[in-house]
Amino acid sequence: MRSRVSSGTMVSLNMILHIDMDAFFASIEEAINPRLKGKPLIVGSRGNRMHTVVCAANYAAKALGIHSGMPTKRAYSIYSKLEFVTADQAKYIWTSEQILGFLKGFNLPLNYASIDEFQLDLSGCLGIKPVSLGKEIKAQIYADFNITASVGIARNWLLAKLASKLNKPDGLTLIDDSNFEQVLRKASLDKLCGMGGKNGKVLMAKGLETCWDLYLNLPGFFNNNSGKFEENTGKPTEKPKSVSHSYTLPRDQVNHQVIQAWIRLLSEMIAVRLRQQNLVSATVYIWLNGPVIGNFGAQKTHQVSTNDGYEIYQRALKIMARSSLRNPRIRAIGVTCGSLSHGIYYPLLKEEARRERLIQALDRINNRFGEGVIYPANTTLTRQ
Amino acid sequence: MNQNSFSPKARWDRFEPDKCGFNPDSLNERIEVLANFKHAKIFPKSFTWHDKEYIIETVTYNWQERIGQALISYFSVFCTGQMYQISFNNSTFRWQIDKLIQ
Repeated sequence: MRSRVSSGTMVSLNMILHIDMDAFFASIEEAINPRLKGKPLIVGSRGNRMHTVVCAANYAAKALGIHSGMPTKRAYSIYSKLEFVTADQAKYIWTSEQILGFLKGFNLPLNYASIDEFQLDLSGCLGIKPVSLGKEIKAQIYADFNITASVGIARNWLLAKLASKLNKPDGLTLIDDSNFEQVLRKASLDKLCGMGGKNGKVLMAKGLETCWDLYLNLPGFFNNNSGKFEENTGKPTEKPKSVSHSYTLPRDQVNHQVIQAWIRLLSEMIAVRLRQQNLVSATVYIWLNGPVIGNFGAQKTHQVSTNDGYEIYQRALKIMARSSLRNPRIRAIGVTCGSLSHGIYYPLLKEEARRERLIQALDRINNRFGEGVIYPANTTLTRQ
Repeated sequence: MNQNSFSPKARWDRFEPDKCGFNPDSLNERIEVLANFKHAKIFPKSFTWHDKEYIIETVTYNWQERIGQALISYFSVFCTGQMYQISFNNSTFRWQIDKLIQ
């Protein structure tokens, strides 16, 4: 199935090269402002440093036990002199797309796995030395952006991703026949993709501590679970199953006008994406989270599909009105549109035709001057 | 493969942090910039802000963002002991100083 590979030999079959950027957002902020380099740094989702969550932490902060997803209040309780930067998606997305563009230049099957993860399929490419290629990619990324990446190379994406995590930051790890057992014995189970949550806890409770323990108990796991490499270069090739947006509020909210404003904004954001892809949706699903209600979710499918943000918003409100929720405290809101189909909505009634023209005019304005430049009046509450 | 759904999207709520008023360093003032335009790239050399000229010693990072039809090029620059973020709008040809980087 595979042959032994080292930096000097040529690759044969089934090799995936996984590139994982090291503390991506935090590294970009360090590159922008060299004063921050080496100091414990967190990137916060919002500008208010005490009322947000850690979006990314650099390695100095990670060494203190601070990690992404942690409330910043808790992070500051661990280390009060943390450096703080507000997340700015534009620079992270731009950098990610530049790296994607550079990787496309290799003319290999490429998977844009996430904003900071990329995978190249080297299968069947004779003449490519995977370790040399990994080194070249790392060097070029560092030269262009002054940030580091870790590379993992293995026979499938699961092992390649694991390999990329083993020598972070700035690592390059190859897993092949010669070191398979040695690497898996050293790798704790939670480093494996999908084992960080409940699955990992269940297996660890059964006494499996390392990836090698898993391999001994489920020998086929690393082959059967590897999945098929699917190319994805960031451009949607087929119709999505659903389109959704969600938002976590800075604090619990009982003001129904603010809650409705966020539902309207999320509905409009979904509607824009539906119209961009010529899609209409029949099912609206609303999800709410709060300290008392926990997770609430309900959906309704309608006969008439739509891609009008106002209509999606109205359908979401009707779902809420039918529920037993009465002025709940809300922390997070999500709206999802499913049952998607390709199609253009042809209005029959005069009022509907007028509404359709209005939507088209709004889209033209937002396309020219930027998304959200013109927006429904009641979403103003989301900007305060 | 179970990781094939990523595609970065513009978001209507992306301006939220600045709009919340939590960014006291935000300036957004027009400036004059001396820059080289070479091979479709921009290299700012100095800028004049409030009648004072600032010689750019280093451009530490640059990135771009499309807002509608306009392409905004951002630069984080270091001059005389202070970091600044400046930007150029290719639609209005306006240079501005966005903020001081602390």
